[in-house]
Amino acid sequence: MSERFDSNVTTTCGYCGVGCRLEAHAHGGRVVSISPALDGPANEGHTCLKGRFAHQFSRSRDRLTAPLIRDGGGFREASWEDTIDLIAGELSRIKAEHGADAIAGLASSRATNEDCYAMSRLMRAAIGTNNLDNCSRVCHSPTSFALRKAFGLSGATGSFTDIDAAGAAIIIGANPTEGHPVVGARIKQATMRGLKLVTIDPRRIELSDYGVLHLSPRPGTNAAVMLGLAHVVARDGLLDRDFVDRRTDGYDEVEALIALYTPEHTEEITSIPGADIEAAAHIYAEAQEASILWGLGVTEHKYGSEVVRLICNLALMTGKVGRPGSALLPLRGQNNVQGSSDMGALPDTYTAYRAVSDEEVARSFEQCWGVPLSRQKGFTIPQMFNAAVDGRLKAMYIFGEDVAQTDPNTAHVIAALDSLEFLVCQDIFETETTKYADVILPASAFLEKSGTFTNAERRMQLVAPAIDPPGEARTDFEIILTVSRALGHDMGWRTPADAMDEIAALTPQYAGVSHERIGRRGLQWPVAADGTDSPTLYQESFELPGGRGQFAPLPYKEPGDAADDEFPLILVTGRRLQHYNAGTMTRRTGNLELLDRDWLEIHPDDAARLWISDGRRVSVRSRVGRIETEARVTERIDPGHVFTAFHFPEVRTNLLIGSSADVNTSCPEYKVVAVDVRPVAEQPAYTPALAEPALS
Amino acid sequence: MQVTIDGNSVEVSSETTVLEAIRSLGGDVPTLCFDQRQAPFGACRVCLVGVEGAPGPIPACTTPCRDGMTIDTGDATARRVVKAVVELVLSELPDPPAEHTELAVVARGLGVGEPRWTGRRHEVRHDQRHPYLAFQHELCISCGRCVRACDEVQGAFALTATGRGFDANVAAGLDAGFRNSTCVSCGACADTCPTDAIIEITLLQMSDVP
Repeated sequence: MSERFDSNVTTTCGYCGVGCRLEAHAHGGRVVSISPALDGPANEGHTCLKGRFAHQFSRSRDRLTAPLIRDGGGFREASWEDTIDLIAGELSRIKAEHGADAIAGLASSRATNEDCYAMSRLMRAAIGTNNLDNCSRVCHSPTSFALRKAFGLSGATGSFTDIDAAGAAIIIGANPTEGHPVVGARIKQATMRGLKLVTIDPRRIELSDYGVLHLSPRPGTNAAVMLGLAHVVARDGLLDRDFVDRRTDGYDEVEALIALYTPEHTEEITSIPGADIEAAAHIYAEAQEASILWGLGVTEHKYGSEVVRLICNLALMTGKVGRPGSALLPLRGQNNVQGSSDMGALPDTYTAYRAVSDEEVARSFEQCWGVPLSRQKGFTIPQMFNAAVDGRLKAMYIFGEDVAQTDPNTAHVIAALDSLEFLVCQDIFETETTKYADVILPASAFLEKSGTFTNAERRMQLVAPAIDPPGEARTDFEIILTVSRALGHDMGWRTPADAMDEIAALTPQYAGVSHERIGRRGLQWPVAADGTDSPTLYQESFELPGGRGQFAPLPYKEPGDAADDEFPLILVTGRRLQHYNAGTMTRRTGNLELLDRDWLEIHPDDAARLWISDGRRVSVRSRVGRIETEARVTERIDPGHVFTAFHFPEVRTNLLIGSSADVNTSCPEYKVVAVDVRPVAEQPAYTPALAEPALS
Repeated sequence: MQVTIDGNSVEVSSETTVLEAIRSLGGDVPTLCFDQRQAPFGACRVCLVGVEGAPGPIPACTTPCRDGMTIDTGDATARRVVKAVVELVLSELPDPPAEHTELAVVARGLGVGEPRWTGRRHEVRHDQRHPYLAFQHELCISCGRCVRACDEVQGAFALTATGRGFDANVAAGLDAGFRNSTCVSCGACADTCPTDAIIEITLLQMSDVP
């Protein structure tokens, strides 16, 4: 049935972290159709409107097709040779004048494992700094941090098939039918077969309609919800004492702490009825197998990493980890947000989260790369921007990330980009960020490159090119290798498969990984030297000293922002089904026809009080910024809260986000922002008027 | 338990359908309403096979294996009925189905050419109001795959079987197009459709340009 196309290539989707395997059909040099691979382990023959349809961006007329060099207020096209010379010259000059640590790089969670590993080697070996980070900093870094502390490894404990094997599940701070549609569909089907689903979110998400219970906490009080659930588990004899004794440490302190979080007290903090907390705890703990799924509604908070620890506590108390059906499944936002961090595109770790200060590990890399390596931690993304504003950081190499659109505290980010002496951007389109670049390198989209992505189940899957990069654009892998060579460090690989062989050789956790072994079915790390992979972690023991899971006695603390008289509503941000993050890709496809604007969801009570009717233009002001958008009055959101997405540059939702961030990982608090919402008056505000009839 | 297919014995579990048993031996029978992502439906009668002792051919997709069952995929009655069924399906279409479609592949495999029956044919009715998905209602053979994909794979419940007899067809919501329904644009319907009655618009455009 595929003969009518010029080529058919099986690859892995480049949108969210579900990792759908796709068949990309090309004709006349462009992708004309994408269908789901029937044998895709995560998608099993299904995909969503992003993976299936939103591919025309790859041949959008405004793709970057030639290197651009700043020329006064604009850019001029340049040859690759001149551009690489300029980059190598400037980076060498800055390194000579200010030291290697005056340079920083950002790898991309959208790019392949091999691209990220190459970027890590470029920064560490060719330039000589650990100033390297990736966009998982602003989404799931708290998950990674907490899972490592509690269980040992930085990834989901199981697979999406655990949803089918579970009797009950809790989803907290995620909206899978919009953010991860294929997993959302899987969960929905499971509920119709009897899965008892509890949703915890300030918004009533679509899956709440299919669940048995919906809890709507005040934004920023997730910790209290988890502590309240743990209280009920302990109080009502639902603790798995045998599991706790045999396989964990630290429960005694937790037991003392959770005693305080009675349903009544939890209700005071979270505004969730105490009876609902009790019911949810029983649903989860009494199921033979139960899983917990979460998203950025958990992590993007001041105490996001602590809430992940509390989720782990609950699983440890009930012994619900390490078996099919009992899994902890963080829903990773981007296609390779798992892999980019696994590959060591972080300021403090090499591959598989091994510290840059670890002498033995650092030596193994020094030996392979043939250069001395720094043992000092580098800058995280927020630290990079601070250092740029301070003048300590002089140059950045940003690859596949639009920080000026997606990072919090936009004004600060722009000030940082403005104060750099030299900025290299490598992307497929001009973005808000490339406006500040000195050089823009035309790169490749996922449909144009080869390598691997690692999905939210820790599954490494092959990426294969369906079409060529347009014009002079090159693959990211090739660009990074070329820049490195110009800086005097030849990585010596011909293909991404060669890079993966090096990764496997240097990383015991990926010892058995090769492109050939990954094949059509993928490999879930850790992968032993003989190629055995690990769909379910921690079946016998945890990957920590002594093999024991670690409880964490962490109390609830107030979020970084709170409603007050001036800013009486709490804004939560999130995704819509039709679009993806900054919308760089999806806004250049027919998905824009399906959804062409952002809006602000507001409860009818708040809307009536503020004289806001459905469709009315509103101003949203926070302590740091102001935007305008359209109001949509809906009961899916609770009174006191408002919700909007962040897909449209014309709205620029992130202007509202301040610099409050997770205490352990500096992941920004995108999910709790106090705002003031008002209708944008068409007449001067002092004109006498009656409330609109629709509201009375 | 054990079943025998065209003279070959195979061990199967009690959950196995006759179709699964046949395919596990590397054999095949044609299907139109079957999709491995959906529960068996048994609507098209194209997977009919002979079973020893049965009064007539049985559908392989919905029939569970019984211990000792003897199955004949080449059963003469079954083959005759299947060819007639496919010929009748084709006779309702205004034009032969596009060569790449499952319906065309099944027809070719059975050696069914131009249908012998003349009579009423479906009127051409197209709907291209969605940016990606188009209806070509005249090609609908009421196999139900799109409706089941929408229900059982995606869970959007946007598609409905409409009409009766010759007028049986499919509609999104109240037949006001995908965008005026609960459709989430996942495209599972177009992916499963064996006739291109629901098709991606880019593919329509591709076939316009030879």
